[in-house]
Amino acid sequence: MENRGSAGKVIIVAGMFIVSVWLVIFLFLNSATLKEIAFSFYSYRDPLGALAEKDSVQLVKQINSVNKKIATLQKRIENLMPYGPYMVVNTTKNTFVLRTRKEIIVEGICSTGSYVLLDGGKGKQWMFKTPKGQFRILSKIVDPVWIKPDWAFVEESLPVPPRNHPDRYEYGTLGDYALSLGDGYLIHGTLYQRFLGLPVTHGCIRLGDEDLKAVYKNLDIGSRVYIY
Amino acid sequence: MNNNNRYKRIFPLKAVVVFVVMLILLSAISFILFGLYPVRREVKNISGYIESKPLNNDLNLSPELRSLIDAIRTKEHYAAFLNTTLKHSKGDSIALFIDLRDSLAILSFKGVSLFESKISGIKINSGLKKLPHFFRDSLYSGPMEVSEEISSIEKFPIVVKKAPKDTIEANQASAPVLPVQYDVFLAFSFDNNMVIQIDQQEEDLIGTKQDYRKYRRQYSRWFRNKNLDALKSSSERGYIYHLAIELPREDARSIYRALPLKPAVVIRY
Repeated sequence: MENRGSAGKVIIVAGMFIVSVWLVIFLFLNSATLKEIAFSFYSYRDPLGALAEKDSVQLVKQINSVNKKIATLQKRIENLMPYGPYMVVNTTKNTFVLRTRKEIIVEGICSTGSYVLLDGGKGKQWMFKTPKGQFRILSKIVDPVWIKPDWAFVEESLPVPPRNHPDRYEYGTLGDYALSLGDGYLIHGTLYQRFLGLPVTHGCIRLGDEDLKAVYKNLDIGSRVYIY
Repeated sequence: MNNNNRYKRIFPLKAVVVFVVMLILLSAISFILFGLYPVRREVKNISGYIESKPLNNDLNLSPELRSLIDAIRTKEHYAAFLNTTLKHSKGDSIALFIDLRDSLAILSFKGVSLFESKISGIKINSGLKKLPHFFRDSLYSGPMEVSEEISSIEKFPIVVKKAPKDTIEANQASAPVLPVQYDVFLAFSFDNNMVIQIDQQEEDLIGTKQDYRKYRRQYSRWFRNKNLDALKSSSERGYIYHLAIELPREDARSIYRALPLKPAVVIRY
């Protein structure tokens, strides 16, 4: 009987110990809350420095001077924006905006890079992503012809033809217009209108027919395209 | 009666009182060690800096003068924010501008605002709220470079695809592979002991609870290690300045994926 009693005591003491340790761990894990409580006991003095030595006339003068500074800075920032129409492409939402400084000309959905890494074997890989940054329209093409790169054949499990081979030329795939951003990246149309708004391209930016027409009409060679 | 006696024998009143007192003591010690001590250290540091500045106690200022001074500070802070935008425009990377006054999260690149998202919720912890204006505006407004980040989504949602073996397989695989969309929770930490948390405003998860818990665990681990380091070394600061904003899920995703690794963040309070 005595043995049972002392075993019970040991269990209770062990239980108390575990509860105590658990309490400390719990409080440590919630130390952010403890710090929030602790901060309610403290406050800082807010030094006013030279401002406190000025009278209301001087302070109003200073406000006017800061207002002027703000206006100048705003003007300078506005001047960083392109003068003519420019395009902004969101590769995550697959949306675009064609706009000027003052207004939106057209906005809608597009398709951008799929982020597919195509493993062609023998160490050959292609990453289908739309590059990000600031680009300029380098050329504008009507009725563009798609010159199929190697990956287009690898993707279809077809033999890769030599350069300039007739099999590489595909007509009508890119829509009515194409605008080049350099390095083979284009803004163009698509036969797969149902995929607009989804990340399905090999890096180019695909637009719907009407949107492409507006973009072609408004963007000139040298116009800026921002992709993020 | 017998039961009562048994309980009294197992749990003598004295032992229960000692245990409760011990728990209270432990709570108090924990509060001092994990709460009060790091906060006191932080306050002491900042107060020391403030004392080195001309204080010009504002007790005798009229409300009119006080409001003028506040207006100047707000405007000067805004001017500093614009100046940072201008300076950053010379760089080659996208930066995140968080305008708490207008509740906007802005992606800016070369001075051009590429994307704006309305912030639907803002939480600022006591330490940041109580910081003196000049201190907050100079040290916690930025541009600050992210030193570490924790995210519930991938930066680059890469899908690896093997080239098809034959034309039959190629035809079967012609449907596009779309990336799985997860819930968006992000935390950026900076060298100045500040953490900016960006959470999706939607309460309903589109992904699994498991993914969300994984993110929370990662964040808690980071926070725990930071607290442990502060306990171990007196040179480590134990208080974390915390700003949390809520954005629509897809906006938060766009912002995270648009930002480069270790992006710059600027805040307007």
